[in-house]
Amino acid sequence: MANQAQGHDHDHPHELEGHNESGIPGYYDMLETAITELLIEKGLIEAQEIRRQIEVLDSRTPALGAKVVARAWVDADFRARLLANGRAACEDFGISFYDDTLLIVLENTETVHNLIVCTLCSCYPRPVLGLPPDWYKASPYRARAVSEPRKVLAEFGTIIPDNVEIRVSDSTAAVRFLVLPRRPDGTEHYTEDQLAALVTRDAMIGVIPVSIDQASVPQ
Amino acid sequence: MNESERLIKRLPNDIGGLPGPPIARTDHPLEPWEKRCHALADVLDFRKILNTEEKRCGVEALGSEIIGHLSYYERWIVAFSNILLRKQILTPTEIALKMAAVEARWTTGT
Repeated sequence: MANQAQGHDHDHPHELEGHNESGIPGYYDMLETAITELLIEKGLIEAQEIRRQIEVLDSRTPALGAKVVARAWVDADFRARLLANGRAACEDFGISFYDDTLLIVLENTETVHNLIVCTLCSCYPRPVLGLPPDWYKASPYRARAVSEPRKVLAEFGTIIPDNVEIRVSDSTAAVRFLVLPRRPDGTEHYTEDQLAALVTRDAMIGVIPVSIDQASVPQ
Repeated sequence: MNESERLIKRLPNDIGGLPGPPIARTDHPLEPWEKRCHALADVLDFRKILNTEEKRCGVEALGSEIIGHLSYYERWIVAFSNILLRKQILTPTEIALKMAAVEARWTTGT
């Protein structure tokens, strides 16, 4: 079993972290406090930088990426700029990049379905999607997405016809990817906001298509 | 390929293409300390103290046994500690004394 991906994975439940039954923070919680305080005392970082970055992290959600996708669906010029240089187009759209990463936007078409992964760890387009879900960081997805993407997609309920090519893009520290899903049929009369409401995090990872949620069909 | 060969040919993070179990669609809201840990990583990157690739390598350098026992952000904070020690930004004594001081806030009520 040593060559099985789960051999290296033990993403145990998180009730053991943080404060324990006695109300005392856990070991790693205190280690984080200790390291941060030492760095602040040495003048290498400032407490307000940490607070500000927590606010930045909280401000990034898949709703930002959904707005990018919806704009690309309604604005062909924006779509072309987004596919040419994802980061520049997102920055022009008002989304700042707080890290030093490139963004490559991958367009799904009738003949190509894109899927993103980070096999080595957990790189992800955080400025436009926020933090990745745990399953994206866990070994089963990282191990299998590159070798059996159709099976992985099927586990998300996504069946890709055999005549559609699947392209899996493996993220790095410097290069991140975002999937531009296909606009669903029947949304020709949707406004940009209504389109954005259809676009989910998982669709921008590429594990599911965007579909029309009956509850959100405009009257 | 025997067990030791496998350890050499596949470092702990190098799992792309290996077989694995079905995807369990897990997620959890970050604990407050996990979010602070993430923000710390970003600030260390902004400040050119520790970048993303150093962080990933630092986790991998923990080895498969430690990686297997620690959660995602537990690996991060231990890797940060090791990297900051190696860069001589912090010393083991400083970390030990500060840990004792942090713990004392909770156990002695000061």
